[in-house]
Amino acid sequence: MRRPKLTHTFTFLAGIALVALVMAGSKSEAAHAAPNANPVNAPAAQMDNSDCLVCHSSPMFVTYMPSSEKLSLTIDEDKFNKSVHGENKLACTDCHTDFTSFPHEDLKANSLREFSTTYYMTCKQCHAEQYNKVLDSVHQRALAGGNTNAAVCSDCHNPHEQTRITDKATGEILNTARMHIPETCARCHSTIYEAYKTSVHGNALTQEGNTDVPTCIDCHGVHNIQNPTTVTFRNSTPFLCAKCHTDATIMDKYGISTNVLNSYVADFHGTTVKLFEEEFPGQPTNKPVCTDCHGVHNISKVDNAETGIALRENLLIKCQRCHPDATSNFPEAWMSHYEPSPEHFPIVYYVNLFYKFFIPAVLGGMIFFVLTDIYRRIVNRIKGKGVKHS
Amino acid sequence: MSKSTNNLYLRFPVVRRIEHLIMLLSFTTLGLTGLPQKYTESSIGAFVLGLLGGIENLRFIHHTAAIVMMFGTAYHILVMGYSVFVLRDQMSMLPSIQDAKDGLQALLYNLGLAKTYPQMGRYTFEEKMEYWAFLWGAAVMGATGFLMWNPITATQYLPGQFVPAAKAAHGGEAVLAVLAIIVWHMYGVHIKRFNKAMWTGTQTEAEMLHEHPLELADMKAGLADKRPDAATLRKRKMIYYPVAAIVTLGMLAGIFGFINGEKTALTTIAPLTETQIYSPQTPQP
Repeated sequence: MRRPKLTHTFTFLAGIALVALVMAGSKSEAAHAAPNANPVNAPAAQMDNSDCLVCHSSPMFVTYMPSSEKLSLTIDEDKFNKSVHGENKLACTDCHTDFTSFPHEDLKANSLREFSTTYYMTCKQCHAEQYNKVLDSVHQRALAGGNTNAAVCSDCHNPHEQTRITDKATGEILNTARMHIPETCARCHSTIYEAYKTSVHGNALTQEGNTDVPTCIDCHGVHNIQNPTTVTFRNSTPFLCAKCHTDATIMDKYGISTNVLNSYVADFHGTTVKLFEEEFPGQPTNKPVCTDCHGVHNISKVDNAETGIALRENLLIKCQRCHPDATSNFPEAWMSHYEPSPEHFPIVYYVNLFYKFFIPAVLGGMIFFVLTDIYRRIVNRIKGKGVKHS
Repeated sequence: MSKSTNNLYLRFPVVRRIEHLIMLLSFTTLGLTGLPQKYTESSIGAFVLGLLGGIENLRFIHHTAAIVMMFGTAYHILVMGYSVFVLRDQMSMLPSIQDAKDGLQALLYNLGLAKTYPQMGRYTFEEKMEYWAFLWGAAVMGATGFLMWNPITATQYLPGQFVPAAKAAHGGEAVLAVLAIIVWHMYGVHIKRFNKAMWTGTQTEAEMLHEHPLELADMKAGLADKRPDAATLRKRKMIYYPVAAIVTLGMLAGIFGFINGEKTALTTIAPLTETQIYSPQTPQP
């Protein structure tokens, strides 16, 4: 049976429109993760935001979930307008696709948490890249495993109030946004945040507003956050820290050596870890990584009067974690990231110096003698005589 | 060549050939498993590491070869004791001024500045040099190896930086030893003339005349080491064996201590802290 020609034309036009839409979508994706304003197919009879705010701007506007939890329905219009979504003139119904008309249908969720952990799918409409990354994250795995405490989009990004995070042109995270990252994670990881705040990194960020220091995401990543307790993560730790600690543009400001990775890898511990990382990244090694001596979230300055591991007594405590019988001389067996020199670890320096000259001297002598012997043999052979003994 | 030049002279009895074999195997293994640990960044180092199943396996093989060499050294000491005390052999391996003179004369001869090549005895200056270099190397490698194998014990008596210093010396000495073997031993024993005495145990009279003319002359003159008579031998053995037994026990204890002196590190590493991962702020902001 043949279809009417009109249908063909319609299908064709619809196809072109779809292709155009996809191209527009992918273009904005490539340029930047942040989506264009309102790329979603708008419903036919769209309610304007002002329609929604008639009710939702009133304070103390609440409803009760079937679980009898209270759900606030008040939207702070001012905050929303200042948010990145407000700036981009997103309509309420862009996200609340199931509330496009009045009266609303009932909420499908039974509890606040169920609402969050099901409703975040709406973010995917515009933020597919971030959503897909989250699918690989430790949070998503926990959620899939039934842990509803695991963070979803809205736990970190309040969609009604989230201001711009990344620079529109470069895609880099804005320093103003970096300042608030640890606070965001702290909502669920407050114990770790308390430790972080006291650390050299956290203190600089929270007290001095210094954004050179790492926030949570610089080590853990963002969206596709991995489990940091795996062997693979542990084995890669030195290279994670080295990202900043071998970068002279950051370290020179603070007079911190950028040779820390090299000096670590030159040592027995670091050599081993590096080889594990390269050859068997998933296999555990008992050799320490940066965090075993310096700490994780509570990293302190090495010259900190109380906990600094530049103090031998403090370092000994770290050594004893793996070497329980170690005594006071033992920490010096580790060269504390120093290159041996006449000032630091002179014995090592002079041993190296000795062999630097001893090896060429001995071998040079040997090679010289061997060469003279070869020369004599050739000369004797040409002259046709044997070795003459005295 | 007269018929007499085909006479065979015993150069190395079986006990000495076994010593050589032990040292040959352990030294080679130590070199092959040691240098990749020093040069992990090199492609050859990485290749050997991969071939032998990674750094921990490599260390295990290295340690095993070191133990073999320790036993080889203990065995050498016992054989030497027997040779010196029971048989009263001449201590022909001891270095002397004559060796330096021989070396110099050989060099001058090679350069065309001396008319003749030196005549030497049981051990030439080249062989003595290699023996004492090996002894020096074994002492350095043993001592520095001990420091690295037992760093906790070592730092009870020594400053901590002796451990990285030991590692530096161990690596430097290793490079020296391997290269010296390649240059000196390879040339002197394999290239100059393929010398099989360490395998067959014997040399022909022609070879003896060529390399150890003084020893050959001594042998012909009846001045070579003579076995003591049975009664003397028995008497000396009565003294030597108990002493050797005690020394052996001491050496075995030393080797055991070297190997098992300390559990250097825990084999597993405990998590840093048991952090409460999920600890929501209250009230939730």
